[in-house]
Amino acid sequence: MEQSTLESFESLCTQDASPACQSNCPIQVEAAMVIAHLAQGRVDEARKSLERHMPLAGLCGWLCEGPCLPACLRGRLNEPVDIPLLERHAVSAGRGTKPFPMPQTKHRAALVGSGLSALVCAQGLAIKGHKAMVFHSGPIGATLNDLPPGTLPPRALAEAIELLEYLKVGFRETEGGPPDPAGLLADHGAVFLALDDPWAAPLAPAGGAADPVTRGSGTDGIFLGPGATETGRVEAMSAGKKAAASIDRLFQGVNPASAREREAVGPSRLAVDLGGQASAPKAAMSEPPTAAEAQAEAGRCLACSCLKCLAPCPFLRSRKGYPKKYAREFYNNIITAFGIRHANRHINSCAECGLCGQICPNGADMGKFVGLARADMVASSHMPVSAHEFALEDQEHANSPGISFVRPAPGRDRADYLFFPGCQLLGAYPGTALAAYRYLNGALGGSVGLWSGCCGAPGRWSGRGRLTARATESFRALWRQSGGGAVILACPSCASFFAAELPDVPALGLWPLLDTLPPPPGATAIAVAMVVHDPCSARLDAEGQRAVRSMAAKIGQKTIEPRMTGRHTLCCGFGGLASEANPDMGREYALERTRESPGPILAWCSVCRDRFLAEGHPSLHPLDLLFPPADIGARLGSRPPGLSARREGRALFRDLALGTVWLENPPKEKTMPPNVDIPGEVLADMESRRILAADVAATLEVAKKNGPVFANPETGRLIASHRPRQVTFWVEYEERPDGTLLVHRAWCHRMVVPGVPGEGAESPASLEGYARTGGRV
Amino acid sequence: MAHAFTKEAPSGWNCGKCGEPLQPVSVNVEYMGSSFFVQLPGCPKCGTALIDAELALGRMLEVEKLLEDK
Repeated sequence: MEQSTLESFESLCTQDASPACQSNCPIQVEAAMVIAHLAQGRVDEARKSLERHMPLAGLCGWLCEGPCLPACLRGRLNEPVDIPLLERHAVSAGRGTKPFPMPQTKHRAALVGSGLSALVCAQGLAIKGHKAMVFHSGPIGATLNDLPPGTLPPRALAEAIELLEYLKVGFRETEGGPPDPAGLLADHGAVFLALDDPWAAPLAPAGGAADPVTRGSGTDGIFLGPGATETGRVEAMSAGKKAAASIDRLFQGVNPASAREREAVGPSRLAVDLGGQASAPKAAMSEPPTAAEAQAEAGRCLACSCLKCLAPCPFLRSRKGYPKKYAREFYNNIITAFGIRHANRHINSCAECGLCGQICPNGADMGKFVGLARADMVASSHMPVSAHEFALEDQEHANSPGISFVRPAPGRDRADYLFFPGCQLLGAYPGTALAAYRYLNGALGGSVGLWSGCCGAPGRWSGRGRLTARATESFRALWRQSGGGAVILACPSCASFFAAELPDVPALGLWPLLDTLPPPPGATAIAVAMVVHDPCSARLDAEGQRAVRSMAAKIGQKTIEPRMTGRHTLCCGFGGLASEANPDMGREYALERTRESPGPILAWCSVCRDRFLAEGHPSLHPLDLLFPPADIGARLGSRPPGLSARREGRALFRDLALGTVWLENPPKEKTMPPNVDIPGEVLADMESRRILAADVAATLEVAKKNGPVFANPETGRLIASHRPRQVTFWVEYEERPDGTLLVHRAWCHRMVVPGVPGEGAESPASLEGYARTGGRV
Repeated sequence: MAHAFTKEAPSGWNCGKCGEPLQPVSVNVEYMGSSFFVQLPGCPKCGTALIDAELALGRMLEVEKLLEDK
């Protein structure tokens, strides 16, 4: 990945942008940080935060007029947070710290006048190690000495002067008028004219205003304090601070004008949502405020931040970051040359569902960045092999010759339409998928062919570009052979894959098509209102969303709209293979939807439905209503078919379709041998680790041939082991008197252990029907 | 020799082929180009080693994930 890719993504996420109080502060005080400390009663830390940006905070903290106040977003709801009051509290109650000056340099600067701008400028130069000499007439501080003690306690000025002397700033009382700046340049590298000191004011160049960025006067080496129109005290601080930075750059040989955008005052880029913020009017306060009063005032701060995208996304919430921070972590993970790549799992935990991109005011889509990161990991052979292996094998299974098929409608030699139910839908409920096909073919005059396979979305999610290219090529070839008709897509993930990878293949959404046809005669509705769940891959498919609701209304199904719907819909956790690489994160995604659903869910993606069912939340697919099983109530509350059952379902779909519609007699796929008994809870435990019933059957076949690897005569239990590819399977079982094998447990590992039977061995030919194919990219 | 992980021999289990009770055996395991010695229960006669569920789903899985992230 190029660094520019990272930077262009980072520029979209504004969470790091300064809030309005800071972006409107001429000296860039991080008021929100100061206030956050005060809200917690941490006055010393508050003062330390103030000192980071406010020079001579013990003095300036008394003098800020709050130019940021009109921009404070609390002010949109109530009065703005009284930031000047809180600054005064921080400097009066918090302990100051002494700055640590850098080693002395050879550079010298002269400052003419001792007003506020001069003191600030002198501090800025002194901490950089430059020698600053302040020429003044009368008391140091000039007009600051005239301020009433209630505005500026005299000790604050005295302490600031002490601090400057500690920093080796020189003060030279000067007789008569101010010295000539051009003359001072003879033995000083730069001169600053503190025009806020009336004694130095006559030195203002006629008609020449200071450069707003550098405070340059137009004459090399001479910098200007606040001009006649810059009468605010914060303006004086800003002029002194900017001039000190310019003079330091001049001394270092750096262009004083370059890269100073952050010092500009302007509106904040940070996107802040004020919706849902409670009203908090300003309370009456003593003068000076008590600690409790200041703390309460600090508590009114909204602590402005964006983070809109975090609220509905368990992935973005999971590591206390936000898209910009994660993107930087992911980029660093990719460019790690040696050592552990700590972000691998996090990168693989994103559902790539696009919700954040829809919420973000700038469209920052973490999923798109994650997609690039994954592709990079695959290309550099740093993608953990186990992360997506099962899903890729499942893709391969769905497209394997014994499972996948394409047929034009019976009696036709080419298909005008091809119904593509998708590998998950037809594997989960083969009967429902076939009923939908029969109905479509009937309704469209016998012109609809059928295609069973996997579109290739898992390969794309896993970042495997070459695999995706191969999948689309073979897809395109099959489509051409079948006559090049329009493909009717039932699965929204297939639809988004087709749109991205096969734009030349004409594709129709199932729901807009069904909505033009009369509802099937057996269609039914359930008595309670269902929460419509739009699948994440259909968040931009407004036509599909409309059609599903229209179909539901036609069959009398009452529906409810969830809070997060349409383009803001939630992901079930299967997107981006998040649930494959991180099953716990996958569950969090599903729960995000089920928790906010007051009724059963109507999900128009088969995987979404099954993942909600797996969380115990009653759910249906609209095809379940259009082509209902004998007991729809049972399906509504069922456990979803497991991984092994889905694979068997795909084989069954082929047998049913080819046998009953095309009247062919296809060779039967092998299913579980009849003498193996895997209790339901053992199967669920196995499948949580992606071990299929077929893997167990294959392992027991090996034991049947070679004998069990271990035996326990006390309990009668046996252990078998088998390594058909990069995974070693172990099965603990017993042989019942009737010869059936009762499976107690199965587990697996990937490490190669010499001496474990089957290591490196080829699968016996007899097991071909069971073994998962081991294709790798 | 230090072992990356060790595992006590479970009682009651014998080698399916030799019939010998399992005892700790030292074996060299390998993954993602890294290899190391571990002590596992196995047959003292033929050397066949047992990786039980607790080890496969615990320490061994952790090491596998670590090596995959390397």
